[in-house]
Amino acid sequence: MKYFKHLLGVRNKYWLYRSILIMKLTLILIVIFNLQSVANVYSQQKVTINLKSADFKEVISAIQKQTTYHFVFSERKIPSKRNVDINVQNEDVTAVLTRLLANSDFTYTLLGNNLIVITSKNEVVNDAVIRGKVVDEKGAPLPGVSIKIKGSNLGTTTDSNGGFSINVPEKATLVFSFLGYETQEVAVGGKTFVTVALVPSSRGLNEVVVTALGIKKDEKKLGYSVTTVNGDLLDKAKESNVAMSLEGRVAGLSINGTNGGPGSSARILLRGVTSFTAGPPLFVINGVPMDNTQRGESGEWGGADYGDGISNINPDDIESMTVLKGQSASALYGSRAANGVILITTKSGKKNSGFGVEFNTNYQVDKAVDNTDFQQVYGQGIHGAKPANASDALASGSLAWGAKLDGSSVMGLDGLMHPYSLPSKNYIGFYRTGGTFTNTASFTGGNENGAFRLSLSDLNNNSIIPNSGLDRKTFNFNGSQAITSKLDVNVVANYIVDVEKNRASLSDGPGNPNNVQFIAPNEDYRILAPGYDASGKETSFTDDIYVTNPYFAADKFSSTTHRQRLISALSAKYNFTNWIYLQGRVGYDDINDARVDITPTGTAYASGNGGMTQTNSQISELNTDVLLGAKHDLIKNWVNLDLSLGGNIRKKDFEGTQISGNNFIIPYFYSLTNLPSRSSRPLGVNDGAGPLQTNSAYYTADFAIKNFLVLSTTGRYDIYSTLPSSNRGIFSPSVSGSFIFSDLYHIDGLDFGKIRVSYAQTSGDAGGTFRDAVYYSVDNSINGVNSGGFSSQLPNLFLKPFTLTEAEVGTELKFFGDRLGFDVSYFARKTHNEVINGSIDWSTGYTNQYLGSGSTQNRGIEVEIHGTPVRTSDFSWTPSFNFTYVSNKILQTDGKTNANIGFGTYRPLNANLALVVGMAGPQVMANDYVRNASGQIVYDSSGLPEQGPLKAMGSTVPKIYGGLNDDFHYKNFNLAFLVDYRFGNKVLSATNYYSIYRGENKMTLAGRETGVVGPGVTDSGAPNTVNVDAQTYYQALAQRISGLNVLDGSFIKLRQVTFGYTIPKTVLTSTPFSAISISLVARNLWTIMKHTDNIDPESGFSPDIRYAGIEGTSLPSTRTYGFNLNFKFKN
Amino acid sequence: MKKRLIYTCLVIGASLFAGCTKNFDAINTDPNQTTAALMNPNFLMAQAQIQFSNTGYDQLLYQSMWSQSLACTYSYYSNGDKYVYGGSFQDYKSRTWNTSYGAATLVYEMKNLVKGNASYSNLDNCGSILLVMMLERITDAYGDIPYSQALQAKAGISTPVFDTQQSIYTSMLSTLATATAALDASKSGPTSDLFYGGDVSKWKKLGYSLMLRVAMRLTKVDPTTAQKYAEMAYNGGTMSSAADNASVRADNSNGNPNSDANALNVTDDFREVRWSNTLMSYMQSTSDPRISAVGEIAAGTGKAANQTKAAGITTASLQVGMPNGYDLNGGATDISHAPGYPGTSPADPSVANDAAAPDGKYSRPRYLVYDDYNRLNVILTYGETELLLAEAATRGWATGVAATHYANALTADMTELAKLNATPVAVVAASDIATYVAAHPLVSGSELQQINMEYFVETSTNFNFNETWANWRRSGYPVLTPVKYTGQFTDGSIPIRMEYPVTLPSTNGANYSAAVKRLSGGDLFTSKIWWDSK
Repeated sequence: MKYFKHLLGVRNKYWLYRSILIMKLTLILIVIFNLQSVANVYSQQKVTINLKSADFKEVISAIQKQTTYHFVFSERKIPSKRNVDINVQNEDVTAVLTRLLANSDFTYTLLGNNLIVITSKNEVVNDAVIRGKVVDEKGAPLPGVSIKIKGSNLGTTTDSNGGFSINVPEKATLVFSFLGYETQEVAVGGKTFVTVALVPSSRGLNEVVVTALGIKKDEKKLGYSVTTVNGDLLDKAKESNVAMSLEGRVAGLSINGTNGGPGSSARILLRGVTSFTAGPPLFVINGVPMDNTQRGESGEWGGADYGDGISNINPDDIESMTVLKGQSASALYGSRAANGVILITTKSGKKNSGFGVEFNTNYQVDKAVDNTDFQQVYGQGIHGAKPANASDALASGSLAWGAKLDGSSVMGLDGLMHPYSLPSKNYIGFYRTGGTFTNTASFTGGNENGAFRLSLSDLNNNSIIPNSGLDRKTFNFNGSQAITSKLDVNVVANYIVDVEKNRASLSDGPGNPNNVQFIAPNEDYRILAPGYDASGKETSFTDDIYVTNPYFAADKFSSTTHRQRLISALSAKYNFTNWIYLQGRVGYDDINDARVDITPTGTAYASGNGGMTQTNSQISELNTDVLLGAKHDLIKNWVNLDLSLGGNIRKKDFEGTQISGNNFIIPYFYSLTNLPSRSSRPLGVNDGAGPLQTNSAYYTADFAIKNFLVLSTTGRYDIYSTLPSSNRGIFSPSVSGSFIFSDLYHIDGLDFGKIRVSYAQTSGDAGGTFRDAVYYSVDNSINGVNSGGFSSQLPNLFLKPFTLTEAEVGTELKFFGDRLGFDVSYFARKTHNEVINGSIDWSTGYTNQYLGSGSTQNRGIEVEIHGTPVRTSDFSWTPSFNFTYVSNKILQTDGKTNANIGFGTYRPLNANLALVVGMAGPQVMANDYVRNASGQIVYDSSGLPEQGPLKAMGSTVPKIYGGLNDDFHYKNFNLAFLVDYRFGNKVLSATNYYSIYRGENKMTLAGRETGVVGPGVTDSGAPNTVNVDAQTYYQALAQRISGLNVLDGSFIKLRQVTFGYTIPKTVLTSTPFSAISISLVARNLWTIMKHTDNIDPESGFSPDIRYAGIEGTSLPSTRTYGFNLNFKFKN
Repeated sequence: MKKRLIYTCLVIGASLFAGCTKNFDAINTDPNQTTAALMNPNFLMAQAQIQFSNTGYDQLLYQSMWSQSLACTYSYYSNGDKYVYGGSFQDYKSRTWNTSYGAATLVYEMKNLVKGNASYSNLDNCGSILLVMMLERITDAYGDIPYSQALQAKAGISTPVFDTQQSIYTSMLSTLATATAALDASKSGPTSDLFYGGDVSKWKKLGYSLMLRVAMRLTKVDPTTAQKYAEMAYNGGTMSSAADNASVRADNSNGNPNSDANALNVTDDFREVRWSNTLMSYMQSTSDPRISAVGEIAAGTGKAANQTKAAGITTASLQVGMPNGYDLNGGATDISHAPGYPGTSPADPSVANDAAAPDGKYSRPRYLVYDDYNRLNVILTYGETELLLAEAATRGWATGVAATHYANALTADMTELAKLNATPVAVVAASDIATYVAAHPLVSGSELQQINMEYFVETSTNFNFNETWANWRRSGYPVLTPVKYTGQFTDGSIPIRMEYPVTLPSTNGANYSAAVKRLSGGDLFTSKIWWDSK
């Protein structure tokens, strides 16, 4: 104590520096000591120790290393202040201890199981045997729970019935810990039998995580960053695409949905725009890669979003999702790892749990949000005039260039008189209240040899678009059985029947019900109903027949998608000994899609009686793998090797046919049989990937030194069928290390401290099939004459996968019993030889060629901070915050001209996205004004601003993003909310373009009646004095200065709120329920900050990176409210 | 025992991986497409012919109205009608380039596949003629273009140089001379030929007729060369009847509908695309019997009548061409302010929600003729050839008698309209033709005007506007008055060149820049191409 006082009293300006120096030196010394004692390992119960001025702990530590003794002592009570010199040769431990504790207030007692208890001299230690049982929150036995005697590293684990028995000092405290549960301490205090109920936790010190290939590892030992999100965060406030629920929850993970209605695709980027193609991560479900094919998406010319593979998964079945961010984490997946990997573990039954029934019901409503803030002064018309007749009203159906809204009576396009004032409801009234009703029943059971879980789920959704919705039924079975004591078999089957009705077209006008957003300000959207005339012909509402009447689009256009999907896995694991096993696994993901798209009779733009297309396709992915795992101490208690060797054969197949035809013979009878002629074709290389096969072999080896230093290395060799035979194989290595310094050096308050370093090289897919040869096709005959052609895509005989190298360093710190924790990573990654499909001019004979020359760089920081600032018996508050900064740069495109790589565009077509060397991708390329040397805008002789060249105006992918989660518990109440944010990204907004072009943007109010004299100069430098009619001016402005449509996409949103109540068990005693919980849920409640006036900055119509940040004529964003009820029945 | 089991597993595993890659080549072979060894090169010719002939918006949006053959109030057509940016302007101005090179690459590949194979010599030479035909259209629109290095990406040339139009013309003429002379009717002809069904003698006539057309383009800049090749063509034997026309009938039922029909059947287009006043007035001034064959006004009144596709009124005296440069925006350029505006076609009170049709009294291209999805696409005709021979003869070159050629042309042009549709619709009575031909002999002093005005009428009524626009630039006929309108992309003059595709600066920047440098004024609609430069 004196020492500390002194230290505090004389603290000078160097104290921090000194402390660090002391810590550093101590660390070095400790390492040296430990290395020194390596040489002394040769006896069991006798020790050889040579230490100078060592404290008691160090001596104990040395003894533990050399013997099978374990020590129990209290930190508070150990004789720590004395430093001793000790030099013994092959002496009994007891003798050493006797000498060590002589002349101290302490003594020791040796108990039956080689446990040595250090206590004060006056304490009597009695040996006791305590037995007990550990159960989970439902009362089901928990096998495999770790039980330690507090103050020692001695312990046991529960058996398959959750039972245990252990010799302890009678005053000992037992510490129970298990993956996914709060650690619990129980004082023995003379008891002989205890029953311990563990409480689930979201975070713990000793978590086991599922890593690549489904190998479970101790999270604290990992040399790379992974984040696990538990299913309970996903299954209350549900998203129809579960991937969307990850938004804001994981550092490094950026997710952007598509405003395409229920089940739409998500754009998922891990650690920035990894490569030019920057696809979604690989999803692996229960160890088996699943297909995540995008089934069709919108582009600038319209089309619907048909969802991605992950959108089929039922959130209620998910136990956890683990995000493997870095390349070291995912390196074992070889070429599929470049975009990261997300591992999904589905719920399973537990052994010896008995039979359990659980029922969950969830109802959520979706309300469309009007994000527009349009002018409300001027109405429909052109050049300042109201429409004089129905024909004028049609010509200005979406134009707000009329007169001031004065309440007078004007003729609408329906030929009737309507007040020239804002209608009682604006366009948003067209959208109905959507709803999703999800019911899941699950049955679990388990005896000593096996366990199962079966769940049945039904999701019934009505989209906010009338006549559109999603119906999904999911059957999930997970069963495991011990065939013999050494052989375990596991079966997982997930059967999905998904029916999607009338997914709305997005972006461009044909068949798009969202065209309702184009209606002129004074027009009531209801006058567009029913959307067709007496003869059944569509009634257009503008003079552009490709802008389909929204009612006609919603009620008459039809698009139905039927999907039947079975994701199944069968695995068998044979444990040769307790440290070596062999596992074989077959995983099969089989998807059958049938889609019918109908352009109805009467469609304004379609000739004849409409037409239809029917597409049937099958995607399958078969993965067969074997894994040999061994975990053994190479040097007893000192160096442990965890080794896995394996191989995988992946076969992917895709096939299908498409039949289409036009002009139904009998109008309104939509059948292939009713077409005068049909054309059919087999689906081919441009419709989907496959067939392909990849053979792979891999290993992973972890060398753990005393649990505080772990070195891991992995390697994978892949052979691809899609590559030319000369160039088929590629090797992906990784190495990582973690050092848990807190195990070596005690820092007050710090429970856990780890430094991790890793380096990996993986590869990315070279692209699709059949790319290495020239093919000729037989085309439709023309008046009976045979014709043929070939692709305008030039093949490349020298393709190989691109490579991605990544270095990552990070640290993980947990303080005060995990009341505060940090996880920080820095990564730097770069791709080499990316295959780009470069545009070449048609004059070369082809439009595209593959070049293996692209390079992309990403550097970033990920920070996760979590804590429990308040924890009392009734109340707890656990916030967590994550932050990601990613700096992306395109280093090289084709390597020669380094020309921009053109990406997607929006329907106005006067700006586009592109990858630009030296800048973050994808950049918005848009036109700015032409300015003279002094920065003044230059106008042409008509008084209209001149159009400058396209220039890069910023990336559409955010630089900074993350989220803040807050979780409050009070007795049986729980309140959680998630705020997420995004900064530094641009949006290319078609809505903004149209709002200016159509006179709805507030900026178009200036000069409405007087005309506009643009502030600036003419070509000659003289001031511009030409007065231009407002409509002419602003329309030219919208067309020429596309930079006006490049908006700041930053936002902060209150993403999710859940408020839950768990009915106390005491209330349920006379009911059939063992637990009932009720949650009120809400998503997308409040946009706290945004910079876009008329749109939701997240809005978009395509998940493709080529269209990232492009927006226009898609569904409005929605607010979602609902409740979730969960019932568990008594056994 | 355990160890042995482990090792066995490893060995089995390893051999599994090694062995399974044997079938990788088979897996990565497209089952739906074939290889050069199996492909029939003839098939590529048919695909090239249909693609090249089926132009649709490529020329409807620009050339058809720059030459004032058609007119339109709809903003989508403002590129052509008013020289003002309209719908998808950037995309469409590269269409002639892309469509023609796209077709040419099929021909180029066809020639590669038969290279050195004597049994395919006719196919090879027909390919050469087709290539000239396709590349001529591109150079006539854009000026200097990739030619000598074009279409060779497969050989590694992904940024071809732009050759000067002068060198391209020189090369085209010599290519035609060689290839046409080498055609041998005693050997087998092309087997997938949409022009002539493989008749080599007709290909020979096409070769010389094309040579004549290419030569005559040079009348302003190089009359000597023009004369040399015009006479060579005449002596070699140009088309001798309308049966020799190069044309392709679209085939709607098999996925190749006529692109003009596709465009004009769009309601907006159908409602507002009309014959231009320039064309219609001229035809009326000569009492051309083709007026009733090609033009009609809606039979009923009002919007509904204008949008039904029933046959309209074809009476010649009732036809009114629409002046170019007007819109429906209610301002100063509203069509109602056009000189001689015939008035709206008033709403029919018996039709619910009917409205007046502002363009309803202007003549539209006859629906049954031009909106036919199986319509013939006309590329090069006997009539055009006769007119060019007439002009050459007028210039004093040894290509026969001008008056005879002119009379032949008139007869053929009027007769041939009937062939546009599989079931003739645009029929001009033989007696009317005879009367007209007799009444319109070639008059000394106005030969060039008469010949080229007929060229204007013939190419316009055949919807071959690429040729209408090219011949206007070459001959100066018809004499056109430019449209004035706010926000034009020219200086108020009619475009005389197509701007290069917008993507060229990024796909072939250096060569593009070099070509632009050679253009006086830069890459503009108003920069003159070489053969138009005097």
